Amino acid sequence: MKPSVELIEHPGEVRLHLQAATLGELAMVAGRALAELELGHVPGPARGPWREVVVSGRDREATLVHWLNELIYLAETERWVGVEFAVTRATETELGMRLRGVVVDEAPARVKAATFHGLRIAVVSDGVEADVVLDV
Amino acid sequence: MPVAQLELVHEVAATAQPGMRVPARVYADDELWEQIGHDRSLAQLKNVATLPGVTGAVYGMPDMHEGYGFPVGGVAAMRLSDGVISPGGVGYDINCGVRLLVSGLAAGRIQAKLHDLVHEISRSVPSGAGRGGRLALGASELDRVLAEGCRYLVERDLARPEDLEVIEAHGSLAGADPWAVSARAKTRGHDQLGTIGSGNHFVEVQAVDEVCDAAAAHVLGLAVGQVTVLIHTGSRGLGHQVCTDYVRLMDEVMPGYGIVLPDRELACAPFGSAEGRRYFGAMCAAANFAWANRQVIAQRVRDTFQRFFGDDGALRLIYDVAHNMAKVEEHAGQRLCVHRKGATRAFGPAHPETPGPYRSVGQPVFIPGSMGTASYVLVGTDEALDLSFGSCCHGAGRRMSRHAAARTKPGHEVRRELEAQGIAVACPSSGELAEEAPFAYKDVERVVNVVHRAGLARKVARLRPLGVVKG
Repeated sequence: MKPSVELIEHPGEVRLHLQAATLGELAMVAGRALAELELGHVPGPARGPWREVVVSGRDREATLVHWLNELIYLAETERWVGVEFAVTRATETELGMRLRGVVVDEAPARVKAATFHGLRIAVVSDGVEADVVLDV
Repeated sequence: MPVAQLELVHEVAATAQPGMRVPARVYADDELWEQIGHDRSLAQLKNVATLPGVTGAVYGMPDMHEGYGFPVGGVAAMRLSDGVISPGGVGYDINCGVRLLVSGLAAGRIQAKLHDLVHEISRSVPSGAGRGGRLALGASELDRVLAEGCRYLVERDLARPEDLEVIEAHGSLAGADPWAVSARAKTRGHDQLGTIGSGNHFVEVQAVDEVCDAAAAHVLGLAVGQVTVLIHTGSRGLGHQVCTDYVRLMDEVMPGYGIVLPDRELACAPFGSAEGRRYFGAMCAAANFAWANRQVIAQRVRDTFQRFFGDDGALRLIYDVAHNMAKVEEHAGQRLCVHRKGATRAFGPAHPETPGPYRSVGQPVFIPGSMGTASYVLVGTDEALDLSFGSCCHGAGRRMSRHAAARTKPGHEVRRELEAQGIAVACPSSGELAEEAPFAYKDVERVVNVVHRAGLARKVARLRPLGVVKG
């Protein structure tokens, strides 16, 4: 499946509809979509060294939410938005990612959190698709 | 229940959906009820009615719209004995709320300086997403803010003792536990005290446009033409992280308590469990941070008014009320944990927690409109205890997504239209301005009229915007 993201609007939230070939690729697509929301535009090239992030959850849905919340935390506290991703490990309960990003002048805290509301990951014939709702 | 109220109550029986333990009641006129039907807020309210220990009924306010797990504008009370506490029932912006200050100045007195005044407020009160503030706190200072809220700020000369009397819970919840707040949450919040944040948060300079109840307005100290300042913000990144941390924790421990929910965002734990008590302590601490945040902003605005108008510019705090909170309260002889998500307390004259100065009229309630539209001052009623656990709506409620609003009209046009109405605008981002345009919100007059007619609160005065500092 070709990786893709669709942003579905709603008065109280932003819902991401994500498609990818694997869980790891799904996390990368979600990370890029979040970066675009945080920056307000398509991210430019990453700068600086790679860093490593590992998150875990009780299932694949929770792992995806915790991954996005990790990126939101880094953006707000370090003024650093991850834009380039490379999966090092992806299971239902653990995700390892190497990532590079861009430093911004002001902490881009437009997105408060990734939520469990309406959260869904489904295995489809040619990959996986997910819905995740962001509190903005 | 009187017939007039029945016309405004839409009840969904507890038998409507498997698992519902109590009915759902929504206060709305026909048009608002139709608007509520455009999103999933009613389905969310029915989900809330399935939570363990929920009692009486779950309530939807007239501004109800879809949220995360709980609808925004939703109220639910759980028994302490066998009920749960849910971080999603409070929301990510813990103790987001509103405070109103009043000056002795007439609107005409500030008109010539309005643009400079609004500009100066925007300089002294940092706005925008994630921006740090002017009051960076060390670890021990932050812990004191979390533990003591506005009481600590009196020591720091950032609050007056008389302010505390007219802040919900005196701006300091006794159940606060700074140790239950994660290091991550503290990192997000340590430099955010005194900042508005983004989204629909604002500082608005206003004038009293109309008095609807002269006696109550007199008690509150409001008269036509007087300048007021309304501050709307919450616990910033600190509160967001507390919610994130505890939704995660409760999602992990729920299976152990045998709790099965229709929506994971309703994640909860028994109030009396170790996890429930820890969340309550952290939420109270974040609430104290939010009250302190609005207090510091108020003090910056007071300083600005003083510089512009000298002693004539003194600002007296009328009240500060939370609208994202879980509170332990007694209703009909039962100790309950009342969750108000995008809903505010509206206690009447007889309630012991109504502040002393307002015992003759009821606790002040504020319902802000959108930029460019009126806001309302109301007072709580004793009947509201039976109608909604003493709760009322918190705003006009969004009816359009942020992107749809921005597509409808660009920010510079929104700015021009507001300025054409004589409203001074300070907003760092035209994009944000477009997202918060007046047409993106429901009709505040209609929402307030439902509140008034249903008996949830009583209209006292209407406030007209003169200038707005947007986050």
